[in-house]
Amino acid sequence: MAKQASVTQSMSGLHTWAGLIVGWLLFAIFLTGTLAVFDKELNWWMQPELHDTGLDQVSAVRVAESWLRERNPDASAWNIGLPTERGPSLSVSSGEQRRGQRTQLDADSGEVVVPRETLGGNFFFHFHYTLHMPRSIGIWVVGFAAMAMLVAIISGVIIHKKIFKDFFTFRPAKGQRSWLDGHNASAVLLLPFHLMITYTGLAIFFLIYMPAATDVLYGGDREALFSELRPGNEQQVERAGRAGEGGRAPRAEVPVAQMLPLEQFIGRGEAYYGEDMLGSLSVSNPDRANARVEVRPVMGTRLELTKGESLAFNAITGEVVGAPQPTRTTLLTQKVMAGLHFAQFGGYAMRWIYFLCGLISCAMIASGLVLYTVKRRRQVKSDTRWLRQAEWLNVAVIGGLMFACAALLWGNRMLPANMAERELWELRVFFGGWLLALVHARLRAPLRAWAEQLTLIALLLLAMPVLDMLLAPKALDGLRLSVDASAAAMGLILGWAAWRVVCQPQAVKKTAGETKKIRASRTGVTS
Amino acid sequence: MSRVATPAARLWPAALARTLLAVVGGYAFTYSAVAALARLLPGEPVDVVISATLVSFLIYTLYVLWAFAVPLRRALLSLLVIPPLALIGFWPNLFAGAA
Repeated sequence: MAKQASVTQSMSGLHTWAGLIVGWLLFAIFLTGTLAVFDKELNWWMQPELHDTGLDQVSAVRVAESWLRERNPDASAWNIGLPTERGPSLSVSSGEQRRGQRTQLDADSGEVVVPRETLGGNFFFHFHYTLHMPRSIGIWVVGFAAMAMLVAIISGVIIHKKIFKDFFTFRPAKGQRSWLDGHNASAVLLLPFHLMITYTGLAIFFLIYMPAATDVLYGGDREALFSELRPGNEQQVERAGRAGEGGRAPRAEVPVAQMLPLEQFIGRGEAYYGEDMLGSLSVSNPDRANARVEVRPVMGTRLELTKGESLAFNAITGEVVGAPQPTRTTLLTQKVMAGLHFAQFGGYAMRWIYFLCGLISCAMIASGLVLYTVKRRRQVKSDTRWLRQAEWLNVAVIGGLMFACAALLWGNRMLPANMAERELWELRVFFGGWLLALVHARLRAPLRAWAEQLTLIALLLLAMPVLDMLLAPKALDGLRLSVDASAAAMGLILGWAAWRVVCQPQAVKKTAGETKKIRASRTGVTS
Repeated sequence: MSRVATPAARLWPAALARTLLAVVGGYAFTYSAVAALARLLPGEPVDVVISATLVSFLIYTLYVLWAFAVPLRRALLSLLVIPPLALIGFWPNLFAGAA
């Protein structure tokens, strides 16, 4: 048996194993998470039937109110999705379902617009934390991967300290060395980002992942904990409950009353949340004496993640009846962590920083995975069967997922707009594309598979502006053009990567020759 | 830096044991440590739950690193700490159940 390995060696082993086993999962999580930074923009891009009328929120509410009063005067609630910077569409729904089927309205004419059904950018967001599995399983798998990421990051730091010292004593070997350099550079440069995004990701579902403290102090009853956590919300729930009773009682029993024009609540809400900070407005028991208006901010009014928060008014008098309570310090800590993860604060500048950092994280994970195979290929006693598996799985996951994402965007434009079960077909395009890439990766030699897949993805992305101009020329606006331009830019990067892979063979041959020499000179010694 | 290469077949069981210890043992260790923390930390229950739970990921990470850094036997010994930690956390619950 080998002597006890040094700390660096054991950390190196841990880093390799933790990294390799979940590296494929992590790449999928990071890539979709990076795309989800622009989820709303992708939502908008994927429904080219909607167009930006440039109408302000006050006028939009006026249009929505008259539409709702005309069509659904007796609904228990009206919900209005306001046009915002990130999604300039106006949508309405009535009844209890706040997020259910929404009707899109043309803010100019008040006519109903029927956009194509689509998975939207939401797909990337949900895939990011569930991997398209049932939610309760998915978040555990993703949580496991995130823990492994944390371990990989810290063990990586421990090895790196040593590597830095060894840097000058190792013989340079171009192929592997440059992969290692790329992996290290992306890892070290963004170390704070990697740590932050991983830990805050775990902090979002912290009570689900680690129920110990809840078990000890609340007998495992998370609901009891939550209701104690937000006394303000509890009151709101109670009030909503009472309002709900009113709603269940025959509406005739509640006298009809004249509400203030709903557009007025935009100004009142903005006075509290700030200009352009409102995302939606809802009315319960419209046109009755117990009518109540709630305005909800878009996320990102502050660092803290404020999902579901609202400011409530009496719709008749306009008086504030429910304001969000300040969050207690410990919960605030958790919510700021969640806020740091969701990147809703700081506007587009922050969004782009997160997007670029996310791309670099993807590059770090991908280069780590490739480094593993490059290194193994040079090793003396490497198990070639396992190496072959790792090589094609790398292409299938890294190349395959990128291809699937590009295919989804193409599918969004290519599938007929009024197709039945269109969302399902988009899903089929995504996973079908991935499956094709997987088969391709299995059948081709690794370098050829890499070159071919990267080239294809690069072409798909580079052609996106053209595709968009041909198939949805009327929909082109600033937001959609930015999506097209970003896709094309990523196409350029991947095209460059493909070109590097194509030029690789000489380097590989050189490395292979060198490997033989190295093998001869240090049999029985692993690096 | 060099060590005698060991046949992969002999490395596997040790690596598997260590990985299992780190993942499963680590979770059990973290769970009981957080339970003990929840009982011992001062403050209101809601604050204690959040604080203790938020540091759990740090505890788990450090345990996994440690489990890979020390000899396997010593790492296995750490499992002995789990019952006392759990007991600190849960004794009032258990006691209440018995009474």
